[in-house]
Amino acid sequence: MNKQWAIIRAIGFVTYKEWAAFRSHMLASLFVGPVLFLVQVFIWQAMFVGKETINGLTFEHMLTYYGVVTLIHYITFDFADWNLQMLVRSGKFVTFALRPLPHWVFALAQKLGHRTLALGFEVLPVLLLFVLLFQVQLVPVAPGWAVVSILLSFLMSFMINYCVGLTAFWLVRAEGVRRVFLLLKDVSAGVFLPLSFFPEVVQKILFFLPFQFITYLPTRVFIGDYELAGIRLSIAEAVGLQALAVAVTAALMLLMYRAALKRFTGVGV
Amino acid sequence: MKGILACWSSMMRVKLAEMMAYRSHFILSVLLLIVGDLVVPLVTLLVYRSGASFPGWTLHEALLVQAVFVLAKGIAFPFFFGMVGTTLSQVREGTFDLLLLRPRPVMFMSMLSGFDPDDFGRLVSGSVLFAFAMQGIVIPGGAAWVQFSLLFIASIAILFSMSLFLSGILFRWVGSSRVFDIFDAVSGFGMYPGTIFSKALQNVFTYILPIGLIAFVPASALLGREGWGSLWTLASAAALVLLGIVYWNRMLKNYTSAGG
Repeated sequence: MNKQWAIIRAIGFVTYKEWAAFRSHMLASLFVGPVLFLVQVFIWQAMFVGKETINGLTFEHMLTYYGVVTLIHYITFDFADWNLQMLVRSGKFVTFALRPLPHWVFALAQKLGHRTLALGFEVLPVLLLFVLLFQVQLVPVAPGWAVVSILLSFLMSFMINYCVGLTAFWLVRAEGVRRVFLLLKDVSAGVFLPLSFFPEVVQKILFFLPFQFITYLPTRVFIGDYELAGIRLSIAEAVGLQALAVAVTAALMLLMYRAALKRFTGVGV
Repeated sequence: MKGILACWSSMMRVKLAEMMAYRSHFILSVLLLIVGDLVVPLVTLLVYRSGASFPGWTLHEALLVQAVFVLAKGIAFPFFFGMVGTTLSQVREGTFDLLLLRPRPVMFMSMLSGFDPDDFGRLVSGSVLFAFAMQGIVIPGGAAWVQFSLLFIASIAILFSMSLFLSGILFRWVGSSRVFDIFDAVSGFGMYPGTIFSKALQNVFTYILPIGLIAFVPASALLGREGWGSLWTLASAAALVLLGIVYWNRMLKNYTSAGG
């Protein structure tokens, strides 16, 4: 176990150092995040003219929602899908197939290193900008539950993206599938609009999909109130449901990984 | 001119043949662009359904602004916005040299190699959205259509200049795909009625960074909310294109290739 952890730390550290060379790439978020947020501020300012609440959310709730969505996006950002598909398509996956470590562990360790760097270059600066410039309320109602929920969201985001990446073992060129899936994922996760704005029937479907556990649920846990499709849960129940969903997705990912490795063919393998 | 058209025609043939080798990928990509461009209008629709609205704008009027935006992208992206992606990858790999060697202007070659048939999907989504939006507004007269057409040219010109600026910056900021995020963030202001922004920002988006001219001003013209005076924007768009060309050529001199 200690050896595994040492490997994960080493991979994470190397990824951290590798990406530290491309700091400007992450620093662009200091411009992109606040600008996208500013658009939302103006949109909702106009929408709330003469209204106290829309769909049960106040203007302050809405700004907090988009602020938290942005931060969660930066914390959980993932490109395991793109990376895996590139490795499969180019044949480079063969080097991972020969290693005494499952590729998904390697990819998760890479994500840990990459996102640790992002904490300093993206998350904290953007958080400060939101709080100081836009005066958004970004203190979670229950900090402990919020942290657990964001960590689960981190894992969920990785596992879903990794499953999308695994489709490359069955499809010749999976880029189109990947992009369609990721777009649907963002819509279904509540990145563009809180899911409570969707029609009742759609909300019921979204409740049973895994995507709400990436953005919508952790954001509502952060705000301290969870409701979707008329189902209201306490913060502890919501996080418990999220943990269950993460466990089911993990099992699915491992099954898919095994099936994918059986299909893999490479030079000399 | 004949040579330019011949180049375009050959490139279209090559790219289409390439796409046909991966048909499912091509179909999915086109579908993705159609669905992707309809996300913001879907959000607008859902928000209006919840009883909220942009003050002074009906749902169909707000959707018209977004439809014009998507239509403009439907022309700009397949024909010249691809040069941003081309510059991004080719400068990073060092293969941009190949464009320098060809017997045509480098900017034209960069545009040409960035041609992407997938992006025609945006024209489909833009047209569908435009037709839907038009159903809810009073059909404008001929003068409004003329005004709209001229302003739409300005809209394309502004997107052209933006592609030049974004592509140009990549000669120095090598390999940074964040330019697309920067474009998405900045152009986000152009997808909504300009009246929701503060007066100061409205001025910025009209005179300094004319994002409002991409969709808001042409759509307003079609709705009969803009006078003929708004046509001065054609001059400002032309000036921006000239500035973009000068900037791009200056930045090209920073290209160091693999040899330094």
